[in-house]
Amino acid sequence: MSDQNVSLWAVYRWHVIVGGGLILTQACLIGALLLQRTSRRRAEQSLAEHLRFERLLSELSARLVPVSLDAVDVEIERGLRRVAEFLGADRASLLEYLPDRNVARVCWAVEGVARQSSIVGADRFPWTAEQLERGQVVLFSRLEELPREAAIDRQHHQDAGTRSCLSLPLSAGGSTLGVLSFDSIHHERDWPVELVQRLQLLSEVFAGALERKRVELLIAERLRFETLLSEQTATFSSLSPTEIDRAIERALRRIVDFFRADWSSLAEFSHDSRMARVTHSWVAAEIPWVVARLQRGEVVRFSKIDELPETDAAVDRRTYLRLGIKSQVAVPLKGAGGLLGVFTFSTLGTERSWPDELVQRLQLLGEVFANILSHRQSEMEAQRLRQSLTHIGRVSTIGELMASLAHELTQPLTAILHNAQAAQRTLGAGAVNLEEMREILADIVEDDRRAGEVIHRLRDLLRKGDPEFATLDVNDMVTGMIRIVSSEAALRNMSVHLELAPELPTVWGDRVQLQQVILNLVLNGLDAMREQGTGARVLVIQTATDSSATIRITVRDSGPGIDPADLDHIFQTFYTTKPDGLGMGLAISRSIVEAHGGQMEARNDPDGGATFSFTLPVGGPGQ
Amino acid sequence: MIGPVAPLVFVVDDDPSVRKSLARLIATDGYKVETFASAREFLARPLPEGPCCLVLDVRMPGLTGLALQEALAASRNRLSIVFITGHGDVASTVKAMKGGAIDFLTKPVNARVLLSAIERGVSTDRQSRQKQAKIAELQDRIKTLTAREAEVFALVVTGMLNKQIASDLGISEKMVKVHRGRVMQKMRAGSLAELVRLADQGGVMVAKP
Repeated sequence: MSDQNVSLWAVYRWHVIVGGGLILTQACLIGALLLQRTSRRRAEQSLAEHLRFERLLSELSARLVPVSLDAVDVEIERGLRRVAEFLGADRASLLEYLPDRNVARVCWAVEGVARQSSIVGADRFPWTAEQLERGQVVLFSRLEELPREAAIDRQHHQDAGTRSCLSLPLSAGGSTLGVLSFDSIHHERDWPVELVQRLQLLSEVFAGALERKRVELLIAERLRFETLLSEQTATFSSLSPTEIDRAIERALRRIVDFFRADWSSLAEFSHDSRMARVTHSWVAAEIPWVVARLQRGEVVRFSKIDELPETDAAVDRRTYLRLGIKSQVAVPLKGAGGLLGVFTFSTLGTERSWPDELVQRLQLLGEVFANILSHRQSEMEAQRLRQSLTHIGRVSTIGELMASLAHELTQPLTAILHNAQAAQRTLGAGAVNLEEMREILADIVEDDRRAGEVIHRLRDLLRKGDPEFATLDVNDMVTGMIRIVSSEAALRNMSVHLELAPELPTVWGDRVQLQQVILNLVLNGLDAMREQGTGARVLVIQTATDSSATIRITVRDSGPGIDPADLDHIFQTFYTTKPDGLGMGLAISRSIVEAHGGQMEARNDPDGGATFSFTLPVGGPGQ
Repeated sequence: MIGPVAPLVFVVDDDPSVRKSLARLIATDGYKVETFASAREFLARPLPEGPCCLVLDVRMPGLTGLALQEALAASRNRLSIVFITGHGDVASTVKAMKGGAIDFLTKPVNARVLLSAIERGVSTDRQSRQKQAKIAELQDRIKTLTAREAEVFALVVTGMLNKQIASDLGISEKMVKVHRGRVMQKMRAGSLAELVRLADQGGVMVAKP
């Protein structure tokens, strides 16, 4: 049987061996096939992922490249979200380095994970920052991978719940603009080299967006500054002296806002340049609680900031802290019409107490200042009234001249129109004589200048504002005035004679106001001669040195003279002998002359007619 | 409009540049222009033979435009006047138009308006000149009549018969016929109707029957 047995093995041995070999081969084949399929699937997967990444990259570029300044942060956040979802990260953030060593952060996080605050100090991750600054990627899969030097970084990562983190520097044009980082909160994870390389590609898109934002902000900032500068230039070019102080303070305020400073001041040097006095200042100080108290007339005092109520005066406390004020007493200055101002004493270095007795003394001193302030306010009000009265007087004087001024203006305008129409017609007829055209244009230019002069003279006279004192040539002033009235006089068939003393010394005064006085006297003179039946109607204007220190300007008419009954009252306000007069002209004229340190008088001439004259002191500024 | 001899336009305005520009503009229409700085200066100039028109500023020192119009009317010189004024008030407008002004324009004047007024002024002037010339010529003819012929002429044109005229003048009817023939001849009239018209134009005082 054994033979049989042997023979059985012998008979089937090859079958068995071949069969087993076949099975083995098949198994090998199947195994290899399976292996191939797996690797192909992996390759396919990697290809698909690669494609997804490509799509993400192009999508982000498409959204972040053309974005406008105000939408850039929103788009960045949207981009972060897309990248984090792609990576399966829990939190993604983009940190932008600000000029003042802080960073601004745009952050996105999955549900349940805290986003991080938007402005943070750059010193939270010193080691990481240093690496990034050198252009290196910082990554760890576990917190323990961070080196010993990174203890602070590790602590802050731990506080933020980060278990793995990848940070990529964002740089453009050689400087580091910010950081792109991805955190894993829920579990630790790896950051394969290939992934990091891809993310570096992505980071370039974000860096580009940051760079553009920075450039646009820079431009916008420059523009804002240009606007500020041109606004201030425009404001100051048209101001009267009394408006300037307020305008300077407003400007300081704008400038403080612009530079985000706390306090700005303008100081003027004394004549000898040894002392500078602060003339204007602006403090960006919000102290609503204190102001409310002062407005109720209460004294406010504190020896240290802690004495101010914590919640009600929270804004005030912050302001004092910022300005470094340690203690303060503020005394309201009360006037008849209410609160005039406030009188403040502060300590900056140390805290101090303000005893009752001291406060009482300050209140007494405050009354002195309140008196000064209220006196100045009423003085300014009176000055303003006087000025507007002077202006009204001038406007009504000019109103009398309106018809002849309109005539003065119509003449050159008519000539311009006719000349231009003559040129049009000549050109239309085709016969162009260049010489004639040149003459026509020259005439147009000349007439335009003439019209401009009329307007200029009028505008000068109608100017409203503070007196502008200057050195004046009296003869010049008289001649300028006569140009305004000469056509009026000619139409009334009256003549104006000038008797101007040569080489008169100059006077110090306001040209417009003094011309107003002369104009007023001349028009009065012309009016006085209206009823005159016989004889030549002549108005004589004379300038002369009155004494070594004064100049006298005289206006003499050939009218009927002043009724002796009126002679004493003619300078009174609202006293008039004209049917349509306001009775203001002479009163205003006299007040102008007196404000210039001169005197005005009126008298009748023995041979008929009236003479008005006024004096002006000779001199320049400061006399 | 503008004949072989260019019509003359006088510009009177006290403002030199307005005067010059007006002259320049008016000249573009082919007129001859003379300028004057005042009404007096203009009055010193003898009036021209040909057609003309006066452009006059209302408001001038010395003699005003309206005063010049009155002065011209008083000296029986009926010139065509176009007034120009800075600001037209109703009173002076009415006065100027009643005085026979062609137009009363307010500065600044549009070229078309001004030139059309001047055109009307010139044509009015030309017509009145033609009329004047005709009258002058008729009066010359009338002057050639003897005293008797003139008497006959005055009666004939009233439509009186020869017999009536003869008895009126106390002469024979035959003499009336002779005188009448001479009148027709001297007055160069072809018919009684034409003689009547000439008498009318020549301003012959017609004695009412």
